[in-house]
Formats: sequence, structure tokens, C-alpha cells
Amino acid sequence: MVAFTIDQIRDLMDKVTNVRNMSVIAHVDHGKSTLTDSLVQKAGIISAAKAGDARFMDTRKDEQERGITIKSTAISLYASMTEDDCKEIKQKTEGESFLINLIDSPGHVDFSSEVTAALRVTDGALVVVDTVEGVCVQTETVLRQSLTERIKPVVIINKVDRALLELQVSKEDLYQSFSRTVESVNVIISTYADKEMGDMQVYPDKGTVAFGSGLHGWAFTVRQFALRYSKKFGVDRAKMMERLWGDSYFNPKTKKWTNKDKDADGKPLERAFNMFVLDPIFRLFAAIMNFKKDEIPTLLEKLEINLKGDEKELEGKALLKVVMRKFLPAADALLEMIVIHLPSPVTAQAYRAESLYEGPADDANCQAIKNCDPKADLMLYVSKMVPTSDKGRFYAFGRVFAGTVKSGQKVRIQGPNYQPGKKDDLFLKSIQRTVLMMGRNVEQIDDCPAGNIIGLVGIDQFLLKSGTITTSETAHNMKVMKFSVSPVVQVAVEVKNANDLPKLVEGLKRLSKSDPCVLTSMNESGEHIVAGSGELHLEICLNDLQNDHAGVPLKISPPVVSYRETVEGESRMVALSKSPNKHNRIYVKAQPIDEEVSLAIENGTVNPRDDFKARARILADEFGWDVTDARKIWCFGPDGNGPNLVVDQTKAVQYLNEIKDSVVAAFQWATKEGPIFGENLRSVRVNILDVTLHTDAIHRGGGQIIPTMRRVTYASMLLAEPAIQEPIFLVEIQCPENAIGGIYSVLNRKRGQVISEEQRPGTPLFTVKAYLPVNESFGFTGELRQATGGQAFPQLIMDHWQVMGGDPTDPTSKPGAIVKEKRERQGMKSEVPGYEEYYDKL
Amino acid sequence: MLYLIGLGLSHETDITVRGLETVRKCKRVYLEAYTSILMAADKESLEKFYGKEVILADRELVEGGTDEILAGAEVDDIAFLVVGDVYGATTHTDLVLRAKEKGIKYEAIHNASVMNAVGASGLQLYQFGQTISLVFFTDSWKPDSFYSRIMENRKIGLHTLILLDIKVKEQSIENMARGRLIYEPPRYMNIATAAEQLLEIEEIRGEKAYTPNTPCIAVSRLGSPSQTFKAATLEELVNYDSGEPLHSLIMLGRQVHDLELEFLYQFCEDPVAFKKFVEEDQEYFKPPPYVPPPDDADDDL
Repeated sequence: MVAFTIDQIRDLMDKVTNVRNMSVIAHVDHGKSTLTDSLVQKAGIISAAKAGDARFMDTRKDEQERGITIKSTAISLYASMTEDDCKEIKQKTEGESFLINLIDSPGHVDFSSEVTAALRVTDGALVVVDTVEGVCVQTETVLRQSLTERIKPVVIINKVDRALLELQVSKEDLYQSFSRTVESVNVIISTYADKEMGDMQVYPDKGTVAFGSGLHGWAFTVRQFALRYSKKFGVDRAKMMERLWGDSYFNPKTKKWTNKDKDADGKPLERAFNMFVLDPIFRLFAAIMNFKKDEIPTLLEKLEINLKGDEKELEGKALLKVVMRKFLPAADALLEMIVIHLPSPVTAQAYRAESLYEGPADDANCQAIKNCDPKADLMLYVSKMVPTSDKGRFYAFGRVFAGTVKSGQKVRIQGPNYQPGKKDDLFLKSIQRTVLMMGRNVEQIDDCPAGNIIGLVGIDQFLLKSGTITTSETAHNMKVMKFSVSPVVQVAVEVKNANDLPKLVEGLKRLSKSDPCVLTSMNESGEHIVAGSGELHLEICLNDLQNDHAGVPLKISPPVVSYRETVEGESRMVALSKSPNKHNRIYVKAQPIDEEVSLAIENGTVNPRDDFKARARILADEFGWDVTDARKIWCFGPDGNGPNLVVDQTKAVQYLNEIKDSVVAAFQWATKEGPIFGENLRSVRVNILDVTLHTDAIHRGGGQIIPTMRRVTYASMLLAEPAIQEPIFLVEIQCPENAIGGIYSVLNRKRGQVISEEQRPGTPLFTVKAYLPVNESFGFTGELRQATGGQAFPQLIMDHWQVMGGDPTDPTSKPGAIVKEKRERQGMKSEVPGYEEYYDKL
Repeated sequence: MLYLIGLGLSHETDITVRGLETVRKCKRVYLEAYTSILMAADKESLEKFYGKEVILADRELVEGGTDEILAGAEVDDIAFLVVGDVYGATTHTDLVLRAKEKGIKYEAIHNASVMNAVGASGLQLYQFGQTISLVFFTDSWKPDSFYSRIMENRKIGLHTLILLDIKVKEQSIENMARGRLIYEPPRYMNIATAAEQLLEIEEIRGEKAYTPNTPCIAVSRLGSPSQTFKAATLEELVNYDSGEPLHSLIMLGRQVHDLELEFLYQFCEDPVAFKKFVEEDQEYFKPPPYVPPPDDADDDL
């Protein structure tokens, strides 16, 4: 039984003002998928009885088994609102039917790349926060991600039933806890919000915060209660909403509203929120859970709740669930919040266009995105690949930002490295079919206009993970997504049976497509490497690889961490390398890049694709660079966007521009495989001081320049106090007080560093935050569980890179030992070569 | 003693008698095998002819392994064979410098090179300007500094000899950058590609150093029995099938002597049209007509 038809949905797609694209985001286990069930149930896809434990959006077997979401899943829902509700909407709408494209995302930090991919295609976010645990590290991360993508948040404070049943809090305590949570959310929002978007903070009295229990299927907003009472008191609803939150009190004797918590006689007054909103809920809970059979019917009558025949027989929790669901259906509160307060694509794209498009803001495509124009040239961003039932094939999942995508349409498929006017990373292909993604199922539709989310069939071979689909020949790319996690943990995989190798290679390709963050590669010694953002992520990926993508038994090495190579000083002399034919000479010096600049490059503030003058301005103004230097950045590396730079400091060298290409190519590889132990470089700036070149192009081709640039980069690094950086996790652990001792002892053993320990007000829970080297994190969760009797669960999130003290070229130091081990494992000479190996005497 | 011996252009027997005698008395014989190739001979036929083992010296050995080549050269005689003439390919001056550094004596035995054998085209060697080479373009790498040198030559009316890229044993960019010795199959630039690339650069630069109608001579397999010439405009050469490698190209300068032109007629399909193109092309860079100095004597009148 489906409450709406595909035709209804297709009709709504054309009324873009009535579309809401939103993702559900939160910390792990705060109840996203369970809440989503309520919405799906409302649309009639799963039965009301099952809502709360079906986890409809967890489509994979392992997701159902583990009870966590791994992949983000999309579904389109149909909602109709009352005329009254529609009046509240402060943007243009048409009729009372709405289409909600909802994406449920994973909460575990290891999968936050999935969140990034979900956020890109949506305009609004439902942020779920646990009443008891409050704002956690991942809540902050996802909020930050959504705000940088210019996505408007609304909040639901979930698991209120836990506070009532387990913690038995008083009304005022609960209010205080709500108010604290709202405040911490707003602190994060005001820190990261973009000025372009206006006020993004959430307010219960404006209806942008809901409270409820996903598990029990109920939720409410202050607005809903205001609606009930405004009739009763004969007060305007908007006014009523303001009165029902904050320091607002009602004196039942005088029937007057006041903002003081005492009446004229000095007797305490009850807060309006407690009195009008929480009181009925508390009374229901108390009556039902304490089996006061006689009170229940009167209460139900008062609240206008009608129970059906067999429902009357229920008691305890089961009754509570039914009653609450009838009293305050979660879907109503959520739909109301989503429809009224989240922006439609038309509204959102107006302010998102510039931050979504790489090209100039005044070109036709950017304007089309801004206006969400279904008749313009197609602009579609594919944010992730979703496996189909047909093994090895994928739906390209994305959002139409402008134009209309149709089955059979011929389009340009532009990968992340495409540049307008060039042919790299560009394919011209036809879209076979367009489909609606409906949780576990797909529904075929003929076309899809701007503002909607869509799945494309038949273009998966031409895209690695993401990309831009367009029909305009002049279109630039849509901005590439920036992930908040990076693949720092890696394993080597091998087939058990040599004949299976081709299957492994194919499987790795598929794996890499199916996950936005995983990296697969082959190292020098021919090992296949899979890199993920954490132990759990890697475990899931390897499971998929073994059971699905490759389908062959695999040998998997213990996890190892990826490091970075860097320098800590300036080269102590000018490094010189000569080309093989000795006719060309490159003179360079290496020096470190400030951490702030590296971070700015990594998070995209300083971007290789920006106009070089604008970029130089930022570097000079914010990071104290010399403007001339900043304008003469030749390239970023590795992969053209990493935090290593080549800066041209030469004076009037003839033909220099003809070797630039070779220098750039060489630097990409040199930064990918450093001289110390073949890891990526980070924060290394190479200044080209002088170049001597042969006059004839044939004697200074790539064959001569590339090896020379590579060698001279290595030599200059080895001359500049080389060092290695290791990745550090930020660990957040919530636990009761008695588990803290155990946590400290495990952290100490593992080179951990505690940065804060705080009690969460109103709860017996403590939050411990610490830095932990990723290298030491393997098995950390297990040991912690052991040391605390299973009371502490850590969240690990990649936080920063930290230089390891000690000389990596000395095998007796700690970094030296790591370097030696890796070199030996990869079949390199065990000692780090001296600079002489890459340096040529004059 | 290090002997640098030119092998000439095509056959194993193109070596000079003095060169042959020297090879036969040397302890080790290296053949430089990457800046050019002998069109009608290979390592085996050379070994058979010399009655000696020949060591192939690739780019890595010549550019990176000079010590290996020069080992023992103080006492023994070492031969370093170069296709064409000894100093034709510039890289070998480095080898000589290294030998001098080590106090090793050296001697060069010369032979014909493309630089002088182009005389076979009928153009006078005196009339050639700077020689340039044309490399294979890639999508992003199109060095065009040769353009200015063609311009300089043509301004003073000289012919330009254009040597075409050969990639005998080259690594791909990735392998080069990662320092891996994995090689691509050999490639030799043909006349059509060269003409295309020249026109591409002219289109970009647009300074009229030459035009699609500029007459050129395609020189193929110079010095071998199948040697051919073809005189045509640059544009016509885009569709010219030049056959087996190696190839070179000559771009005519303004000063084409009548005798040169007459010689060129045998290489073109339509001498009348060719002559027309040559005459048109001569209009470019034409010096201003001679103006006799004013006769001072007249002023006095």
C-alpha cells in the first residue's frame, strides 16, 4: 500500500517551489534512521506498527545487522499540508501538495564522506540531537559541513522518552536541557554560518526546533501546541508561540502572562513551556507507566485521543507508544518543520549557485542554477554512485541544478579534472534511463527538471566517483566536494588464489566507485592498497570487496597508517640537479609551508582553480606571503591540489614557460612519493631559484626535465631537515564517572593526550576528549571496552597531522623505525638515501 | 684512447676506412642508439661487418653511465660509434669533457651527417640558417621557441633545416616522474605531423614567419637507396605520405637561387605552380628597394 503514485511525484517535480530536498544528519546513534521511518511510514510505505524498528533506509544487510547506517539512502515522499500551514511558508509556493526528497545519512564519523555527498544534493538538513547525550563531536562536524555547503538546518531533539523514562527528570530540568542543547547548536551555527544565508540559528519559538522520540514515533514543535492553545485562549498563534518558550510564565490566578518567575506575592510560577507543553506529556507518561488505569481515559478524552478496539487492551510501554503516536504524530511535526522552514530549491539555489559553480558568477550556467531554470542547459552534479541489483553497475546519484535531464539525452560527462576547452576527463554519452531512488527500490521516470534529485543509468563507467553532467559546451564544473575525513588507514589486500587476481582488480575498481572516500591503489611492490577513513570504514569496505565487488577470498594485511613527509627548515644550501644530457640545470630550495596555509589549501580556501590574483591576495593578506611569490605559484601537488607548492623565483629565464609543464608533472609525482619512504609530501614549498636551459626544445623535453625536477625536489627536501607527520584522531568518549579511570589508563598506554573532561549538565555522563595517534588506534575501541566494562564508546575523527619528533633518516629514532619498516616492506633499500643521491655537483 | 667514430647515414659500410680500421683494433665498441638510427643496418649486421661485439648504449648509459663507458680508456682503446657525424648530436660533447677530465685522450673520426647531406636536395649549404628541431606535441606541451628562429632565418632569407623528433626508447611521463625504466614503443615523426604542428604554431602565433603556402622540401631516408625528396607547400605536405622513417624538412628562405629552383622542379608534381608559390613567398621579408643616396653634387646647382 503506497499512499502516493509515481505520477503524483512526477507532477510535483515541475512545481519546484513545492519541493524540499533535505538530509537527515546527526551523531551516531542519535536516531536518524528511526526518525526517518516515521516519515516513510507517513507516506505509507511501511506499516505504522513497524515504524521505529524497521529502519527502512538501512538497505544493506550489514546495516540492519549492526544497527548503524553505512550508506546514505534517498527516498521521495509526498506530503500535503493544510491551507493554514501553507500560509506560514515565507517563500513562494503553489498549492498544498509537497514533494520531499529525503536522504538518510550515516552518523558514524568514518562515513562522513557519505554525509558530504548527501548534503551536496540537498538544501536543508534535519539535525537530530539526543536529549541525553546532547551535541557531540559528529553533530558539530555534520553541522559545520552543512553550513559550509550553505544548507539550512532545523533541529529535532530526539529520545525525549529516555529522559522521561530512564532519567526521570523534572519538567524544569528537561526544559533546561532542551534549552542548553538548542544553545550549543546555535553556537556552532553562528560560528560556521555563511553571511550570505542570513540568520541560520534555530529557535523553538519559531518552530525550527522539534522535540520527540523516533522510537515511539512521536514529536512536537512549539508551533503545534501554540495552535491548540491559540484557539483556547483566543490569542494570535504567532504570539502564543513566543509565549510558549523561554522566560514566559502564566499566572493561573490572574490569568495574566508575565516574564517574571514569581507572582505578586512572591510565589513561584510555572514556566509556560512546562505548564502547557510538557505537562500533558508528563501526565500521560506518569498515568500510563504507573498503570493508573482510571486516570487514563479522562486524560485521553481531554487530549482528544481516540483508541480503537484492541488498542484499548494495551498497557505499559505499548500503550504509551500508541497513545503518544496518536497525540503527537512524529511525521506531522517533522513534515511541518521541513515544509515550512526548509528552503525550496528555488530559494536555496539563489544563494547557493555561486558556491556550487566553479566558473564565473555571471555566465549563463551559473545564472541558470541561480534561477533553478528547467529550460536552460542541463547542469547536474553526481555526488555518489549507488550499486544496482545488476552486479558491478551503478546508478549515478545526483541533483539537477538547472535544465531537465531526460532518458536518452546526449550529455557531456565532466570528471573532476575537466577544464573548459580541454578534452581531459570528458565523455560524450547518452543517459540510458532516469530513475527515482526510493529507498530499496527505484522507479523509472522519463525526465526530471531542475531542483530535483535523480538517479542516472548508463553513465557509471565514465565517472569515477562524482562529476558534472551538462549539455552546455562552455559549462565549467560544479565545485568538487571537500570531505571532512581523509583516508588515513590502509591495508594491503592479496588474493588467496592467484587465479582470482583479475577479479580482485575489477573488485577494487567497483569498490572505489561505490564509496566517496575509499582510495584504492597499487604500490611499488605491486601490493593492492585499500585506504579508508577509519577501522570501521575499512572493515565495511573490505567486507564489501570480499563478498560483493570481487567475490573471492582475500588475504588482508594488518592495518597501517599513511604518513606524510615534510620539511622543518629551509634547505641548507641550494639544491642543484642536472638533466641526463647535462644541458639543463635546475636550482631550488625547499622550505616548510605554515600549517595554516596547508589547512587552507586542504579545505579549499586557497584553491588551485581560483584566479591567481585573488589567490595571491588571500595568501598575502591572511597568511603574510610575499605577493610576488604568491602570484608565481606554478602548481599544487600531489594531484594538482595538495598542500605542496612550486614557486617560481627565477629572474628572466628564457624558454622557462616551455618547461613548466614538465616541472608540474614531475612535482605531482615527487609529492606523491616522497624521498623518505614513498609517502605523500605535506607542507613543502619548493622555490625554483634559477634554471639553465638548452636553446633547442628537443634537448629540454619531458625526458630531460621531469627526472631532473623530481631529483632536485628530493635533494632540496633532504637538505631541509626532513621530518614525517603522523595523523592524529580526536577521540570523544561519553561514559559514566566510574569508567574514567579505565579510559585514562588506556589513553596513556596509547600515547593519547587528554584535552578536556567535562560532565554533561543534568546527566551523570562525562565527556572526555583526547588526541590519539591513528597508529595507536587499532584495537583501541576493544581495549577501552575491556578497561571500562563496556561503558565507554569512543568516536574517533581525523583531526590533524602532527610532526613526529626525531630524525626519520636515523633508524634508531621512533620515526626512523617507522620509515625503515615501511621501506623494507615495500622492497626499497632500508636506509633513506642522502641528498647526494639526487644532487649534482656544479 | 677514446675514439668517437661517425657511422654515416644508412649502411654499415658507410663507415670510413679509417673508422673501420679503428673499430677493429678497439677493445670495447659502443653504439649510441637513441639520437638517431642507422636506416639499413642493425646491431647484428654491424657486429658481422666489424667482426666484433657491439654494445648498445641507450640514453641512460650515455647520459648517466659515462664512467662505465670510459672505464679503462687510459690504457685500452674504446670506440664510441655515432650515427651520422660525431658532433652532430650535441650530447656527446659531454662525453668528451668527461674524458678530458680523466686525462683520457680522444680522437674523432668524421662522417656524413644530415647537416651536410641535405645538399642532395639541390639547396646550397651556404644558404642555410639555424637548424631547429621539432618535438612531438602533447595536449599541454607545445614548445614554440623554434618559431622565432625560423623567423630570424627567413628575415635574412636563409633556408631552415628542421629535424624531426624521434623517440627510440622513451619513458611515459608517469614512468619518467617516478623514475622507472619502462619504455614506450619507438616513434618517429613523419612529414605530415611536422607540417601540421608547424601550421598549428603559426595559427597560434600569427606573426607570419611562414604561411600555409610557404614552399618546403620533405627529405626522407636521406643517404639510403630509397631516399626521396618532395617539394610542395606546407599545406600540401599535411597530406603527404612520407613512408618509412627517418625524415627531415627544409623550409625555403627568400633567397632561392635559380639553379636551386631548377633542381627542385624534379621533386614536385607541378613545377609551374611551385614556382608561383616560391615567387609569392619571396614577397615576405623582402628588403626595401634600394634607394640611391641623394647626389650631393646636384644640390649645389
